[in-house]
Amino acid sequence: MKFFGLLSVIIVGSLLLSATKDFPDWGDQDSPANEGPVSSFYIEKTEEKTKVPNMVTAVLADYRGYDTMFETVVIFIAGIGIIAVLRTYGNNDSTPKNQVGDEGAGLLAKITCSLILPFIQLFALYVVAHGHHSPGGGFQGGVMLGASYILLALAYGLARAKSCFSEKRTLVFAAVGIIIYVGWGVLCLIMGKEFLNYSALDSILPGGVEMARSHSMLAVEIGVALTVTAVMFSMFSNLSTKGRLDKGL
Amino acid sequence: MTDHLPILLLLLPLFGSLICVLLGRNNAAHSWVVAMISLGGSALLSLLMLIKVLGLKSGDFRYRMGGWPESSSYEVGIELRVDVLACLIVLAVMIVGFLNTIYSKTRVSAEVGEKGSFFYALIQLLIVGLCGIIMTNDAFNLYVLIEITSLTSYALIAMGNRRAALSSFNYVIMGTIGASFYLLGVGYLYIKTGTLNIDDIHNYLRSENLWASQSIVVAFILIMLGVWTKMAFFPLHGWLPNAYSYAPSMTGTFMAPLMTKVMVYVMIRVMLWLFGSDFVYSTESIWSELIIWMSVVAIVAGSFLALARNDIKKMLTYLIIAEVGYMVGGAWLGNLNGQAGAFYHILSDAAMTFCLFIAASIVIIRTGESRLNAFDDLFRKMPITMIGFTIGGLSMIGLPPTCGFFSKWYLIKGGVETGQWEFVVALLFSSLINAVIFFKIFERAYFGKIKGIKEEVTVQDRDTIPAGGIKSVPLSMLIPLCVGSLSILIIGIMNKNIFSWITKALEMVNG
Repeated sequence: MKFFGLLSVIIVGSLLLSATKDFPDWGDQDSPANEGPVSSFYIEKTEEKTKVPNMVTAVLADYRGYDTMFETVVIFIAGIGIIAVLRTYGNNDSTPKNQVGDEGAGLLAKITCSLILPFIQLFALYVVAHGHHSPGGGFQGGVMLGASYILLALAYGLARAKSCFSEKRTLVFAAVGIIIYVGWGVLCLIMGKEFLNYSALDSILPGGVEMARSHSMLAVEIGVALTVTAVMFSMFSNLSTKGRLDKGL
Repeated sequence: MTDHLPILLLLLPLFGSLICVLLGRNNAAHSWVVAMISLGGSALLSLLMLIKVLGLKSGDFRYRMGGWPESSSYEVGIELRVDVLACLIVLAVMIVGFLNTIYSKTRVSAEVGEKGSFFYALIQLLIVGLCGIIMTNDAFNLYVLIEITSLTSYALIAMGNRRAALSSFNYVIMGTIGASFYLLGVGYLYIKTGTLNIDDIHNYLRSENLWASQSIVVAFILIMLGVWTKMAFFPLHGWLPNAYSYAPSMTGTFMAPLMTKVMVYVMIRVMLWLFGSDFVYSTESIWSELIIWMSVVAIVAGSFLALARNDIKKMLTYLIIAEVGYMVGGAWLGNLNGQAGAFYHILSDAAMTFCLFIAASIVIIRTGESRLNAFDDLFRKMPITMIGFTIGGLSMIGLPPTCGFFSKWYLIKGGVETGQWEFVVALLFSSLINAVIFFKIFERAYFGKIKGIKEEVTVQDRDTIPAGGIKSVPLSMLIPLCVGSLSILIIGIMNKNIFSWITKALEMVNG
């Protein structure tokens, strides 16, 4: 078996290598991917059409917003899938409270956590809100926000974190995040243009067609951030407790 | 309004799944209603879409996400493209999804317990993913949707019995490798062409005459390998039998008819639309010859492995592997009959696999026995179920007027036209093996226990089946079975029309 594994790795590896001899040069500015009509459109027209200085976000949330919507759905599926596979609904209530391990980490860790948590969350919100102007966005900000709850669970025990972010709430947040994203697209549909055509919203958002696109990107990023936050925490709590969601760790 | 049909079709199940999640656990009954409404609505919409496309002169229509215009004739956004072929498969997916939801009504509480609403959420997202794959015209968007279908199917399979988790893990590994190959191939194409739109890539390859480029050839090989892994083409089939037979029954009945078929559609799309027939079937290459031989091996091996199995569902899953061989071989024959036959077989195989899996699930559930001796004397006890199973089986063998006969007819015609006799022989041989397999079962079902077969079922054993258990198959299981077996006959009888639609669409791409 190992032999066949090695053999297939060698074959695929040599295939991949043999293809590179036809590639454009490293960093070649005339290569199709750099100079083709699609990328030059992105580079030249993004600022003008969407008033968003961060081209990456414009590609992510507007030109290829349909892809990003489904990427968010992928995250959502990961969360739901883990619940569907792992979660066991037992009589958790009968287990005695305040067992060892339910207390969380030591005093030092608790104090450190309570000091840095607000800053992590504030920075996460900044990353989300500023995603269309500087590097960042819903995925990154959402992961940070989710991490802050995970940190809370690590330091104070899962019960404390669940009092902020119960299981019901994670599911609602995850679904609402997608509803914001997809709903924004449906809103464009209702306003009479194509799905996710943000320019349809210029009559209800301030600042003309271009600013409507810019604002819409912020809106869908917020949706992404909600889903990612909720799924991150839900995955952590399910994996760390083998789906029992009791004491954890 | 009708311009927005493709996206409305996807949005209904997407919102349906969100509602199911919001309903939360212990709410399978409400989730069932939600799933019925969303899938029924989408099935109607896809029927409308088929009618609309059939009325179009150009044969297809496009839908630009975000309404981004072309820039110097290149798409900057993501585009959906819907033609008759896509409409037919979307319709098949929606109908199977809808019927399967009916079937799952009583099974969900029994097999996944409190997580019923999550089951419905996942299966609706799986349907969104499959339909998105079929309609998209963007190579990378296709990958994202493959990811959606894979993740949902991993979870749906792992919800099954104890052995399901391991087989799902197997599938995770294989599926991830397959999807990564596909992604690598798309990456290579992007490096060489600078665009992701399927038509634009094709036009660029044609205008720059990049067919001979090593990167393009490697990209093609990688994409093919990836797609073959996902569709369980013979040497890459290892994950399929366990995954489909240990999954919850209502997952198996949905995924077995559709997952592999949609990937076959992706393969045909990559071959004819993305790379183009003159590259794929170019006379200098030995590819077609080699791959037809591979599909011959797949057909023969799949049939033999099915013959050797004593477990009903395992046997059916190996038959799927043989059927995948039919379709790959037909698509690679390189003539219109072969391609159209492969395409027609996607539809007919979806119908007959659905029928067989539903019937087999009912038999297994009602008799509590998963081996072939479950069928002993069943024609007397469960006549309707067995009639459905018989129609499915006859279609697998390929008797007229079932659709299995016509798809084989076109495939054989294509094989004869190109002189690929090994393919023709393999098809006939597999029909023969299918006949052996299914008539063995029919015999058991008519005459009860066959003497001289080693696994003895005593009379007492058979009497332990709960009284009424066998006879009272709930209507929610029988309706999908009856509709499925009817659709086998309908697809068979309408073969002329369907075939002419398919050939018209294929002629347009073949030029």
